[in-house]
This record gives sequence, structure tokens and C-alpha cells, in this order.
Amino acid sequence: MREIDAEPPKVAGTILVVEDEVLIRLVIAEYLRDCGYRVFEAAHADEALLVLRQSERPIDVVFTDVEMPGSMDGFALAQWVRANRVGTDVILAGSVARAVQAASDLCDQQNSVPKPYDPQTVHDRIRRLLASRGPLKRDLQSAQQQSRSLDGPPS
Amino acid sequence: MVNVEIVCEPRLEEDKTTVLVVEDEIIIRLMIADTLRAQGITVIEASNGDEALRVLQSSLPVQLLFTDIRMPSELDGLALAQAARAARPGLKLIVASSQPAGHEVAGLADAFFAKPFDLEAVVRRVKSLLAEAHHARDRR
Repeated sequence: MREIDAEPPKVAGTILVVEDEVLIRLVIAEYLRDCGYRVFEAAHADEALLVLRQSERPIDVVFTDVEMPGSMDGFALAQWVRANRVGTDVILAGSVARAVQAASDLCDQQNSVPKPYDPQTVHDRIRRLLASRGPLKRDLQSAQQQSRSLDGPPS
Repeated sequence: MVNVEIVCEPRLEEDKTTVLVVEDEIIIRLMIADTLRAQGITVIEASNGDEALRVLQSSLPVQLLFTDIRMPSELDGLALAQAARAARPGLKLIVASSQPAGHEVAGLADAFFAKPFDLEAVVRRVKSLLAEAHHARDRR
């Protein structure tokens, strides 16, 4: 860990990653951070709009999945960005393979930092994470039963 | 000349200081995550309890869970915290809520923050709990 008063790392661009599958989103976002970008994460287009409407958070690139739950899919989000945020690029990635390739291309554009690891590593990692399932389901059922038995609504 | 290729692995594979932040209000989540990352802490963001569960079900290392309680997902923060505690006994747990902490939170969490909270105080607590987790792991 760096010290608490350490200077934040210098970055050459800010990317908003919009992806509803958390295990894909976190790997792509982490890869782009390792490439030197500042990255914000949104789970769907409605969250992305909240970030984009904040003028104090300039976004250089919106990197979005196509199919997403919520009021807007990736195409509609791209249209909104083009109409309301001139100068912000949009990358539409409709599959994991295309998302990894697009992230790798962005990494190549980052001159200050070399590519931290091979894009195939990113792809393999996403596939492994999506396939992994731990023992948590049993614990979850137990926790939900306990939660239901607690007095009063959750705060 | 000998070419030496240095192969790096993603930081999350080996990271010993990963915090899972679970918060449905994106601007608050973004502020917490950004502040923790500025301290060199790896952060995984989840927008609700269901996403957090996906992360905890995976093989990703997580040392500390920071969760809001009220979230519009099948799984609220309290049920998530109970499940996470049972599945990962060494996990440190911080709970945040706009309501006062109930007895069930007091018995479960390592720390509680009432909203709106002081972000610097949250960072200090996160770092001290991560240090505790680190020392506990070293003793094993």
C-alpha cells in the first residue's frame, strides 16, 4: 500500500466501463487501470448516465457492453453520449472476446505504460472466473433464513 | 544480447489487500473506490448484494467487505454479510447504513459507519483492519 498522503498516479485518460456482469467488468477495468488509465465502473446504462452527467468527472472513453438490463442498452447509451457529450468516444463491445480486444487496443494507445500482461491472460481469467463457483450458496441460504427471522426491516 | 521477457500476472490474482465495496449509489461507490485506490488498495466494486455474491463465490481473494445495508437486490447487505462471514471466516467486515446499527450488525461487523460518513475515517479503518488481517495471516 502507498502512504496515505501519496500523490495519485498520473493517468493519460479516463474510461467509463459499463458492463452488467461483475466478473467481466472488474477484470476489464483492472486491466485498463494496469495500463495506466483512470477507470470508473458502472453496472448498467442508468449508472453510467449518472456519472456522465457529472461535469466534474470528464470521461474520455465510454467502454460499454451492448446488452444490458435497465432503461437503456449499449446502443442507446452510445446515442446519448454522441448527442450530449461531444468529444467522448464510445466503444461498443458485444462479447467477451471483443471487449478484451478493445481493451488491448486501448492499452496499445497508452504510450506511457507498457502493456502489463497478454490479452489472452485477461480472456482466460474472465473465463475461469465465470466458471468458478465456491461453497457460498449453502451459507447464503442459511444467512437468508437468519435474516428473515430477524426483527424489523433492514436499516 | 539476451532478451528477458517479464511476464506479469493481474494484480488481483496475488493481491493481499483487496476490498470489496458494495454500494448501489454509484457516486458514493465511486468516491469510496477511488479514495481507496489512491491509497494503493485494490478495490472490487459491486453495485448490489447479488453482484457481491458473484464475486465472493468466485476464486477472487477478498480481505475486507465494505457493504451498505439497504440495497435494491434480492440480497441485502445484512444477508450478504452473514453469508460472507460464514464462507470466509477471516474476512474483515465494515457495514454502512443511513439507519443506526441494530444488534445484529453490532454482533457481525468489525466496524459500522452511519451515513453520511467521513471518507478519511473509513480509509483509516479499512487500513487498520487490513493490517489486522495481514498480521493474522502471518501468524498462521
